[in-house]
Amino acid sequence: MLQSALMPEAATSALWLSVRVSVLATLADALVGIPLAYVLAKRRFWGRQVLDVAVMLPLVLPPTVTGYYLIVLLGRRGWLGGPLYALTGWSLPFTWYAAVVASAVMALPLLVRPARAAIESVNPDLERAAFVLGRSEWRTALEVTLPLARRGIVAGLVLAFARALGEFGATLMLAGNIPGRTTTVPLAIYTAVSTGEADEARVLVLVLTTLSCAVVLLASRLGSRL
Amino acid sequence: MIEVALRKALPGFTLDVAWAAGDEVVTLFGPSGAGKSLTLQCLAGLTRPDAGRVVVNGRVFDDAAAGVHLPPQARHLGYVFQGYALFPHLTVAENVAFGLRGLPGGERRRRTTEVLAQLGLGDLAGRFPRDLSGGQQQRVALGRAIAPDPAVLLLDEPLSALDAPLRRQLREELRALVVGLRRTVVLVTHDLGEAYQLGDRLVLYEAGRIVQTGPKAEVLGRPASATVARLIGLRNVVRGTVVKTAPDRIEIAWRGHTVETVNSPTAPFQAAPGTSVAFVVRPEHVRLIRKDRVSPDPGHHMNLLRGEIVDSIDHGTSWTLFFRIAAPGPPSQGAYDLEIEVPHLVYEILDIGRDREWEVSMHRGALQVLAGV
Repeated sequence: MLQSALMPEAATSALWLSVRVSVLATLADALVGIPLAYVLAKRRFWGRQVLDVAVMLPLVLPPTVTGYYLIVLLGRRGWLGGPLYALTGWSLPFTWYAAVVASAVMALPLLVRPARAAIESVNPDLERAAFVLGRSEWRTALEVTLPLARRGIVAGLVLAFARALGEFGATLMLAGNIPGRTTTVPLAIYTAVSTGEADEARVLVLVLTTLSCAVVLLASRLGSRL
Repeated sequence: MIEVALRKALPGFTLDVAWAAGDEVVTLFGPSGAGKSLTLQCLAGLTRPDAGRVVVNGRVFDDAAAGVHLPPQARHLGYVFQGYALFPHLTVAENVAFGLRGLPGGERRRRTTEVLAQLGLGDLAGRFPRDLSGGQQQRVALGRAIAPDPAVLLLDEPLSALDAPLRRQLREELRALVVGLRRTVVLVTHDLGEAYQLGDRLVLYEAGRIVQTGPKAEVLGRPASATVARLIGLRNVVRGTVVKTAPDRIEIAWRGHTVETVNSPTAPFQAAPGTSVAFVVRPEHVRLIRKDRVSPDPGHHMNLLRGEIVDSIDHGTSWTLFFRIAAPGPPSQGAYDLEIEVPHLVYEILDIGRDREWEVSMHRGALQVLAGV
């Protein structure tokens, strides 16, 4: 449908891949990031600061550096990737899953930061009240803390999705730029510009801009309803 | 029944208290930062004491020596937090039902309706806390705490978030409700009126310690020390030196005079001459002696003191006069020795506004010796 006169096939495939990668990366961040934000906000444990810094690192490091670390960790000869390859013969880099992992890692701090701040700002007396009324810490988190922190969590998820949508450097390092397999929209734009495909670049830039605007708009709509 | 012995050291503050109460309202009274709220948190299991024991109706909640510390979930207490801590994302009915999760659905709804009706909140069941007035929020907090039928109800400054007229109105309501529970109710307040009206028993806190405990009338009527007298807001707490103690009277040297007071026939005060002693004179018990009458009869007017009024405050219906005794040395309370309370009419009749030199008397029964420090 979109793939008519407006968009060449490569651009369409890049768009669908980007959406798929960003949605999955955001879901993965929700699964990891919300519990992480809770633990960082509530618990005092050994290594907490190390964890805190590690989560925030992708925000300050150049994406290529983060990508390099991901290769060291998950590459065919990586700390985790090596044993995985030895065991299954499969490795992550240069698959579209690698794009998901790279986007998720890059976007994680954008979820954890506002989510953690929102959890920390929930009046601790509300949690104490839930304890006194018989709720375990787990139930209290589900019934009191997280529902009250929902604005910050949703804001974080939107930011994370937007960041995943625009991810370039780390994705390029870990997933490469294989047309039809790992070429997301930002990579496709880069390729189009560097090979002189000005029309394709223009269309993709327009699409990504529209999509990002739509996400931000949706987020503010959602935010005022919560 | 509750038995409490707690020790908890925090940076710059140590709580070290022990008290007990039956099925009555016990009020923890004292200034802010005295450790009252910390005591409640320890009772609720939200804070773990360093040492001590908490036993409620025979159940051991805490026994530091034996390593026992029940979590708050296992204590089944009601807790009304300062500022109420209502769940803002839940309706009034959901707030009240929050502690009833263990009950089957029908029973839970029945109990919720019952509590809402009891507190006059039936019409507000579907509202959210932000839509309620302060008084209504206070009632929801109370309803949420009592709905699970707790063994002990803890109230942390339950009325302090309300403005004064509403506070007074709700006091009676709260009193009726907590007495009706026939449970141990522990109330924290720094408002003496509230402590007196709501409580049966007073536990006076200061700086992490208990300075006096007993039935409220006893504590207020017979403060054990100058510290207690000041805590309960008594004015004219001053210090003199014992001249003589007899079974029927005590003579005290004070500001160049010897004042005399009655001794208690049941628990007589005894101290060696020269001992420093605190005593209190209620401002309304100091009387000015009229100058238009014959010279004062020493048999009637006791403890005569001459001096001048150095300052005065108009309260509308009464005046507070600050009286300095004509004697060398510094006055007992800064710039003055005694506060005197006189009705407005007396102030006008005696023309106190212009005439500042007076002789006053204190009946010997009006002086109360404070035995403790």
